[in-house]
Amino acid sequence: MNKIILSVMLLISSFMLAAQDKGKKVVDQCYVCHESLGSDEATLFKKDIHFQKGISCADCHGGDRQSDDMDKAMSKEAGYKGVPKGNEITQACIRCHASSEMMKKYGSKIPTNQFELLKGSVHGKLAIDGAERIVQCITCHNAHGIVEVTNPNSPVYPTNVPKTCGKCHDNPVYMRSYNPSLPVDQLQKYRTSVHGMRNAKGDPKPAECASCHGSHDIKNVKDVRSKVYPTNIPETCSKCHSDPQYMKEYKIPTNQYALYKKSVHGVALFEKHDLSAPVCNSCHGNHGATPPGVESISEVCGTCHALNAELFSSSPHKKAFDKQKLPECETCHSNHDIEKPTSKFLGVTPDAICSKCHKPDDKSKGYMVAKEMRLMIDSLASTEKIDSALVEEAEQKGMEINEAKFKLRDATQASMEARTMVHSFDEAKFNEVVNKGLTVTSSVKADASAAIHEYYFRRIGLGISVVIISFLALMLYLFIRRIEKKNANN
Amino acid sequence: MKNIFTKIYNWVDERVKLEDLVKFMGKKYVPVHRHSIWYYFGGVSLFFFIIQVTTGILLLFYYKGSSDLAFESVQFIMSKVQFGWLVRSIHAWAANLFILSAFIHMFSVYFEKAYRKPREITWVTGMLMFFMCLGFGFSGYLLPWNTLSFFATKVGTDIAGAVPIIGEPLRTFIRGGDDVSGATLSRLFGFHVALFPGIFTILLAIHLILIQRQGISEPMHFEEQHSSEKKTMPFFPNFLLRDLLLWLIVLNVLAILAVFFPADLGVKADPFSSAPAGIKPEWYFLFMFQSLKYFPSHILFAEGEVVGILLFGAAGLLWLLIPFWDRKSSRGEQNRFVNYLGIFAVIFIIILTILGWRS
Repeated sequence: MNKIILSVMLLISSFMLAAQDKGKKVVDQCYVCHESLGSDEATLFKKDIHFQKGISCADCHGGDRQSDDMDKAMSKEAGYKGVPKGNEITQACIRCHASSEMMKKYGSKIPTNQFELLKGSVHGKLAIDGAERIVQCITCHNAHGIVEVTNPNSPVYPTNVPKTCGKCHDNPVYMRSYNPSLPVDQLQKYRTSVHGMRNAKGDPKPAECASCHGSHDIKNVKDVRSKVYPTNIPETCSKCHSDPQYMKEYKIPTNQYALYKKSVHGVALFEKHDLSAPVCNSCHGNHGATPPGVESISEVCGTCHALNAELFSSSPHKKAFDKQKLPECETCHSNHDIEKPTSKFLGVTPDAICSKCHKPDDKSKGYMVAKEMRLMIDSLASTEKIDSALVEEAEQKGMEINEAKFKLRDATQASMEARTMVHSFDEAKFNEVVNKGLTVTSSVKADASAAIHEYYFRRIGLGISVVIISFLALMLYLFIRRIEKKNANN
Repeated sequence: MKNIFTKIYNWVDERVKLEDLVKFMGKKYVPVHRHSIWYYFGGVSLFFFIIQVTTGILLLFYYKGSSDLAFESVQFIMSKVQFGWLVRSIHAWAANLFILSAFIHMFSVYFEKAYRKPREITWVTGMLMFFMCLGFGFSGYLLPWNTLSFFATKVGTDIAGAVPIIGEPLRTFIRGGDDVSGATLSRLFGFHVALFPGIFTILLAIHLILIQRQGISEPMHFEEQHSSEKKTMPFFPNFLLRDLLLWLIVLNVLAILAVFFPADLGVKADPFSSAPAGIKPEWYFLFMFQSLKYFPSHILFAEGEVVGILLFGAAGLLWLLIPFWDRKSSRGEQNRFVNYLGIFAVIFIIILTILGWRS
C-alpha cells in the first residue's frame, strides 16, 4: 500500500516539476519547508526583493533548493554552507552584486561597484578581531527582508539611515574599540538640526548621514577624498543647497555656494588651499546644522575672529545693533559673500559701510569718528605704500636694507591691528594703534631714504676716487716715461 | 720739501746703511722681451695680498666669529659701519682677483719654465702659497654664515671626506665635529685670520727673498742671446714704478667692482633647512667640482668620486714637483710635453669652469 502511495506522490511530484520546468519556475523547497515551520527568516524573506526575483535561500546558504528531503537538501554534498559568517556574508552578496551579468539577468540596473567602494572605505578595514571587515552588507541592509532602497521600510531609506548608522555610531562602547576620539553624539545632534527634524517627520529629502558621508565609499573625514574633507564640504552641501528645483519647497536661497566661492573664505579655501578657512559646517554646524540666529552670529564668527568679536561686544555698536535686532558681523560683512575687508569699508564716503547708518546730515559723533578713522587708516596705508616702494628701490640698488624691511613688517602689523581696532569704534584706541604704525613708517622712510642717498653718495665718491687714482696713474706714467727717456739718452 | 726728504733719508741711511740697499737694487735688472708683461702678475698678486690683509684687519674690528652672531655682524658691517660695505666688498672682490692673478702668475711661470734650476724653491713656495690662496677662499667663504656658504662648505668638506684613509678624520677636523656647525665656523675663522696668514707670510718672505737673491728669471730664448743683444730694465725704479702703475689701475678696477657689484649677504644659514637647489662652489673650485660629476659611480673596485679626488691630488703633486721631474728644461732643452700638459691644463680648467657655471 505504502509503495503505491509513494509511487503516486513521486508521480505527482514529477508532474509538478515537469510543469515548473515548463514555466521556468522552480519551487524553492527551502522556503516551502521553512515557511511551513513558521521561521521568522522565511516570513521576512517573503517580502525580500531577492525572493521576488526568484533567488533562493540556497543561493546564499548553499544546499539543494529542489530537494524536500532535509538531510539531502542541507547536506555537504549538496553544497550546504549553513549561516555565512564574517566576510562569507559579503562574498555571498557580491556573487551577484559585483557581477553585471548576474544583475542583468535579474533585470536590475543598480551599480555593481558597491563592494569595491566598500573595500576602500573606512568600513572596509578589518575589524578588531582581524578576521573580517568592520561592516558586512547585512549590517546596513539587513539579511532577510531586504527591500529596495526607495522603499520606506528599507533600513537605508533616507528616513531610516540615521537610525541604521546610529546602531554603531551611537554606541560609545562599540565605537571606542575603533576610534576613541570620534564623538558618538552625532545622532543626538542630528535630531536637533533642521535636517534631522525634517527627517524625523518623514521627509526623505533633507540630508541624512549618507547624503554627506556617502554610503559604500565612506572615507575618514581626514582623508582628502572624503566628501566631508574641508575642501569638499562646500560642494557636498551645494549638491542640495544649490539645486533650486530640489530646494523649491523649503523656500531658502540657493546661491550660497556661488557667493561663498567668491568670498574671502572661499578664495582662502579653494585658491590658497588654506584648510583653516571656514566652510559651511564651521558656521552652521555639521550634524546639528542650523542657521545661526541673530544673537549668535558674533559668537560663531568670534570662534576665529575672537579679538574682533570681543572688541565689538564692548563697543557702543553692540547695544545699538541689539536694539535694532541687527545681526552683528553680518550687517557690515555679509554672510556667504564676505569680501576681503579694505579701508573703503570705513568712513563716510558713499561706498563706505558706516555711511549706511551714519548720514552726513546728522553730524553725529559716529559720523565724525568714522570720518576721522578713515583719514587715519588711509594715512597709514599711504605711508606704508611709500615706504614699501622706497625699500624696494633701495634693495634694487643693492643696498643692505634688511633692518628697514623688518621694521616695515611692524607697520603692516600695525595696519592689521588698526583694522581689528576698528571694531572697538573707539577713536582714541584706534588712533593709538595707527600712530604706532605711523612712527614705524616714518623710521622706515628715514632708513630707506638714507640708503638711497648712500647709493648716490657711493657713486659720486667712486667717481671722485677714480679721477684721483687715474690722475695719479697718469702722473706716474708720465714720470716713468721721463725716467726711461732719460735712461735711453744716457 | 726736498730738503726734508733728504734729511730723513740721510738720518735713516746713517743708521741702517740704506745706500747699500739702493746700490743692490740699482744693480738688479729685469729682462725685457715679448713676454715681459707676465712678470707683473707676481706684483699684482702681492698687491692683492696687501689689500686682503688691510681690509681683513678692518673687518676684524666688527666681525664676530660665532654662528649666532656672524651673519648679524656682517649685516652690521654692511649697513651701519662707515664704509663697512666698501671694505667688505673690496675684501670679497680682491679675494677673487687675488686667486685669478695667482692662477695667471703660476701659469706664466710654468710656460716660461721659470721654475727650472736654481728656482725650484721659489716655485714650490709659490705653489704652496697658491694652495693656501684656495684655502683662504674656502675658509673665508663660510664666515658670513649665510645659506649658500653653509651648504657649499658642507659639500666641500664632504668631498674632502671622500679621500681614502685620511678623508674621514680630515673632514671631522675641518668641521670640528660630524657636521658643519658653529664649531666649523670658529675653526675656519681661526684658519682664515691666524693660521693661514702666518704660514703665508713666511712663505711669501722666502719667495720674495729668493726673487731678490736670484733675480728675475730669464726665458730660455733670452738666455741664449748674446749679452749685448739682451734688453733689460732697472728693477729700481723703472720696474717698481711700472708695478705701482699697474697697482693703481687694479685699485681703480677694484673700486668700480666694489661700488657697482657690492658683496651680497644672502639669507642667514639655517642648518635645519634643506640645501638650496643647484648649490655650487666658488668659481676657482668649479672645474674640480664639475669634473667629479663626469666620473662614473664606480671605476673597477673604487668609487668614481674617490678616483677623481685621487687623480686631482696626484695632478696637484705632479704640478708642485715639476722642477724635479722636468730635467730637460733645467738643462736648457725644449720640453714639448710640459708645454702640451700646460695647454691641456688651461683648456681643461676653462672649459670645465664654463660647464660648471652653466650647469
